[in-house]
Amino acid sequence: MARKLICRTSEVPANGLKECEGDGVRLLVANSGNEYFAVQAQCPHQDVPLCEGIYDGSVLVCHQHLWQWDIRTGAAMGIAEMPLQRYDVTVEGDAIYVGSQGAIDVGELFNGIGAGTLQALVQLARREEFAAGSVIYKLGDPAEDFFVLESGRVEFQIGRDERVNPAGFILRKGEVFGWAALLENHPQRIASAKALEASALLRVNGKQALKLLESDPAAGFLVMRRLSGLIARFLAAAGAR
Amino acid sequence: MRIQVNARNRAFQFEAAAGEKILYAGLRAQAGLPYECATGTCGTCKAKLISGELDDGWPQAPGRKYLKAEGEFLMCQSEARTDASIEVASFVYPMDTGACRADALAGTVRSVRALTHDVSAVGVDLEAPCEFDAGQFMAIKAPGVQGMRGYSMVNWDQPARRLEFVVKRKPGGGFSEWLFSGAAAGARVEMFGPLGKATFYPALQKNLLCIAGGSGVAGMMSILSRACREGHFDRHDGYLFFGVRTMRDAFFLEELSALRHDRLAITIALSDEDVPEGAAAGYPDLTFARGLVHEVAKREMAGRYQNVRAYLAGPPPAVDAAIRVLLLEAKLTGDAIRYDKFS
Repeated sequence: MARKLICRTSEVPANGLKECEGDGVRLLVANSGNEYFAVQAQCPHQDVPLCEGIYDGSVLVCHQHLWQWDIRTGAAMGIAEMPLQRYDVTVEGDAIYVGSQGAIDVGELFNGIGAGTLQALVQLARREEFAAGSVIYKLGDPAEDFFVLESGRVEFQIGRDERVNPAGFILRKGEVFGWAALLENHPQRIASAKALEASALLRVNGKQALKLLESDPAAGFLVMRRLSGLIARFLAAAGAR
Repeated sequence: MRIQVNARNRAFQFEAAAGEKILYAGLRAQAGLPYECATGTCGTCKAKLISGELDDGWPQAPGRKYLKAEGEFLMCQSEARTDASIEVASFVYPMDTGACRADALAGTVRSVRALTHDVSAVGVDLEAPCEFDAGQFMAIKAPGVQGMRGYSMVNWDQPARRLEFVVKRKPGGGFSEWLFSGAAAGARVEMFGPLGKATFYPALQKNLLCIAGGSGVAGMMSILSRACREGHFDRHDGYLFFGVRTMRDAFFLEELSALRHDRLAITIALSDEDVPEGAAAGYPDLTFARGLVHEVAKREMAGRYQNVRAYLAGPPPAVDAAIRVLLLEAKLTGDAIRYDKFS
């Protein structure tokens, strides 16, 4: 979405929420003191409208299952399993403008790291398009790159030949897969990845990304913490009762 | 029928018997599929059909209003006619090995005892004993009523040979009409369960805050019963706020008095009348207060939220109001608040 006038500051209650629409995309504008933030309008859990949620000016809670997010960063808090997709906001006078963020910036792994490192990471990324049904990588392929989903849908399969089983899928902008490329001693793909729909991906070389993160340890620490959370989410048994 | 569920993080395969709801078949196989009411109202168990054929057992289920895209259906209402592949757009994990296993079970209604003018306690003798966690519920099928209804167990026994429920009379409500018609006593009922995540177990080293409106107190009785029996209040504090309209609508007051413990405070909140004279004298171990239950709880709990696990139950507006108090006033996080939306 290109930068677009989405609403007026007077339309957003103090420390409150307003659902708006721009270019057919619904989003939620939140006031927090003197600042405004914009996030996706529906809960990533089950598409419940977040404008009906509970909001105190800093933490947004979906009233349905109590997923929580930091409105400033979109980061998941408490029992939330996914971050909120954020939009860039600029305020001029009483006009609130909103524009899309890039998939890497939105993404669960890199959201919130310093602007310089983020920019360098974006420079490393190569945009690729995959037609519906095409294979992105196969089991056993070298795991050199990881991918960030920009649009579309990717499905994973484990096993070989006729003993193939689905092993999950991703469909949200900013979701990261192929993260073996960021791990030591995982030189090969442990699953196959296929574009289920026409999909746009950002391909990033794992070694180059790690080198970049080494030069910015704060960003590196955040990314590794997020990555371990991501891996745990795929491996975990039922969450703590 | 072979069912394959493709979830965000992995796939599950299990068998479903002819006529068996897909959700129930999955839970029976210990797949932690998403659900809340499990009885067709909340929409939480929605999934998408990829291949195969399904029958929808209750096309008028209220939860169908949450279905949007083509091919979406409620797992709690649908049965597979053939092998089927379905997609669930959330993370699904195998169930905790310590969790009580849900299954189909049946029993006979042994007693229907009036608690107030419109609330009754119902006792069901089980054909086979079952295990459940305090705070869980059963989906119950009444003869001739479409769909099932969720009711929390009042008792807690391990294992249980008898289940006790609280049922509020709702004019036009198929299940409660059947129950209050007098036809229920001696009838055989089919159930599926135990269900629900608003559970208490003693390893939980937390102070308990229970806020219940009306018949929602049922599950709290089970939780407090287990907590008392296992000495939880020797080491932790407990608070129960039980909201009803008037003294005429209150029940279980003797049972609650019998739970008496220094560290367990039980407050009856009356929303529609001042506390009648004699209430406190009649029940010296209970406290009575005027007000909506979430407001009374907010007043009494100020400054007492350390290390609290909160359980909520009752009419949805009462639960929502209590959630707001706990998130906004008490600043509790979502993981400290448990409830199942099945009313």
